[in-house]
Amino acid sequence: MRLADSRALLPDLVTAPVDPQADRRLIEILASWCDRYTPWVAIDPLGDAVAVEDTDPCSAGGFGGDAGLLLDVTGCGHLFGQGSDKGEAGERALLADLTERLSRHDFACRAAMADTAGAAWALARFAEKQADLFCPAKGQRDALAVLPVDGLRLDKPILETFLKLGLRRIGDLYSLPRAPLARRFGDQPLTRLDQALGRIDEPIEPRRPPPAFRTRLAFAEPIGRPEDIAAATSRLLAALCRQFEQASVGARQLEIALYRVDGSVDRTAIGTSRPNRDAPKLMNLFEEKLGELDPGFGVELVILSAPEVEEWTGSQDALPEAAMRNPLAEDGTIDLADRLAIRLGKDNVVRLLPRDSHIPERVQTTAPISDPPAPEGAWARLASMKGPRPTRLLQRPELVEIMAAMPDDPPRQFVWLRHAHKVVKVEGPERIADEWWRPRPGGKVMPANIVPPVRDYYRVEDDDGGRFWLFRDGPMNAAKWFLHGFCA
Amino acid sequence: MPVISPNAFAPPAANASGPVSAALRERVRQLERAHSAQRMGRETVPLGLPEIDRLLPDGGLLAGALHEVEAGPAPSGRVAAHDGAALGFTAFLLSRLGPGTLLWCRQPAGADAPLYAPAIAAWFDPARLLMVTARREEDLFWAMEEGLRTPGIAAVVGETRAADPTAGRRLSLAAEKNGVPALLLRPQPAPPQSVCTTRWRIASAPSSVAPAPSPDLVQARWQVELRRNRFGLPSVEETPSWLLEWNDETRRLAVVSQAQHGSAGAPQRQRLVG
Repeated sequence: MRLADSRALLPDLVTAPVDPQADRRLIEILASWCDRYTPWVAIDPLGDAVAVEDTDPCSAGGFGGDAGLLLDVTGCGHLFGQGSDKGEAGERALLADLTERLSRHDFACRAAMADTAGAAWALARFAEKQADLFCPAKGQRDALAVLPVDGLRLDKPILETFLKLGLRRIGDLYSLPRAPLARRFGDQPLTRLDQALGRIDEPIEPRRPPPAFRTRLAFAEPIGRPEDIAAATSRLLAALCRQFEQASVGARQLEIALYRVDGSVDRTAIGTSRPNRDAPKLMNLFEEKLGELDPGFGVELVILSAPEVEEWTGSQDALPEAAMRNPLAEDGTIDLADRLAIRLGKDNVVRLLPRDSHIPERVQTTAPISDPPAPEGAWARLASMKGPRPTRLLQRPELVEIMAAMPDDPPRQFVWLRHAHKVVKVEGPERIADEWWRPRPGGKVMPANIVPPVRDYYRVEDDDGGRFWLFRDGPMNAAKWFLHGFCA
Repeated sequence: MPVISPNAFAPPAANASGPVSAALRERVRQLERAHSAQRMGRETVPLGLPEIDRLLPDGGLLAGALHEVEAGPAPSGRVAAHDGAALGFTAFLLSRLGPGTLLWCRQPAGADAPLYAPAIAAWFDPARLLMVTARREEDLFWAMEEGLRTPGIAAVVGETRAADPTAGRRLSLAAEKNGVPALLLRPQPAPPQSVCTTRWRIASAPSSVAPAPSPDLVQARWQVELRRNRFGLPSVEETPSWLLEWNDETRRLAVVSQAQHGSAGAPQRQRLVG
């Protein structure tokens, strides 16, 4: 029906433009909100090949009728249930909690729980009674039998043919011979049916890769004070570090997520340069970041997860000799680097590595702290192979104007930053040829018949005693002079 | 040892021989020590330059303290074009310290010219450096303080123009508490209100006058002024000053006798230290 027709029928019809992007964003927010129940949350695209796993997925459908979320809550029920009743009571409680919280945020939603994603999908959309939304373990065959075939997530032409043939309920398909069905309609109906009934697997692809290690702390009353959040973090860290010890791993990355009462989620992460499972040290790293988190109107749940872990390499204390040889290997330094990197950014906390190159600006590179340092004496060896070098090197050589007696001569005077420096002493030249074997920025290697550009470096001293490192670039008749460094 | 001051109007030499003045000096020293009880028992690092060490408390640079090295104006009075010499002197100070990581924090400003490890390797192994870049001065001071508190750090260097007395005091306290030296390297002289234990002003000086046909820059010269010397000994001059010569090839820093500075023909009497 067109909008004009609808308005004719119902004059005070409220309309809103379709905004698929906003819908998508909302679903994303809801999905991250659902991370509180399980790390395995997937957004269910309508009609697309969706997921089935022979476990306990739960589908919260009903947003605008097409979008949905799939949650694999295997093993999560016990967090919600009370008493010793394994499984069902907890899962029922989880489902009730989910529905109740969402409706508190003014979402109209229908959530169903079943052994398979397909069954949960169908129940959430087509179950008639509230009581049917929870399908007990292995009960999907009976639960699905009474639902319309629309619940099988089939393509529209197949669905229409089914209806023409009088196959209205999913149960009608149970008794049909499989081979003719496949021959007439292709694989889809049987696959979907098998997925819904749990005969074949349907993996759920989570939105975010689920972390292997995760701890959660829920609060009866929302918390908001920074001290409380810090205390919660340190409790969770202690628990997580125990998990690490059992699995013999250490964290390379940790993420803390605050689930706020208004339904939004705030996250922050820290990284370490090597596997770490020392709770006080990790807490130290978090302290810098916790200030960035905004508890909003209150936090009802905190989840700490380790998206990236590495095999535990053992304590550095066990290898005192290695620590002595390797000046940066000491615990303190690496921990310091981690702490600094969290506030200043990973790129701003580095070590210097030598590179085998003739070009002065290529000799010195930076590397993250997790890289091994240069071997002892490597720099000294490298320096001994080169001529005199400045204590500071300009990242970008600066063009200077010079005066020389003859075009070929070293400069008598150079002008840098509008100051004229009269050159009193000169040392040089040291000729440094370009590395012809290295590809140009354009990606081409220089042709062999062209003489590679050379730079003639001079160390000069001006009349004030200031020492500079200059070079001449380009052919003799059109040479340009650059300032490249400052000497001691 | 006679000291010839370049300043003819300098106050009479305090170390003039005589039992009275010697006794007085001892008394002053005791008073000073009592006054600065916090200095007691702290480690010092001799620079290996007797002329300078003589003035420093206990004959060396106080390890757990804040020291400032600033680039002074050129002899002609012009603002120094660069602080290469001050950086060299800082590297020399670091080379006198024990093993361990050197935390080097810098705040990029203007033309970005970070230290160049192949040259620094003359003083210490650049593999020991942990380089930190901080955009804001408060981040720089924070990083330095964190470094001072960390075991295994041999020294902390901050390259900045910022002169924040509060930050300086904090650094000073952190350095004192942990016995780790903190160095501030300034590309320009800072207002002298900070709480550092020593402040050095370094300017490049014209290198020795070698015969004209083969001018040689191997021996860089630095004019070094000790502008602040807390807990140190009083000196003849108001600001003790030395002309140092760094030999690139022998890797030695030596004090050039002031009297011979500039006299081309005279044989150079110098003390070599490693």
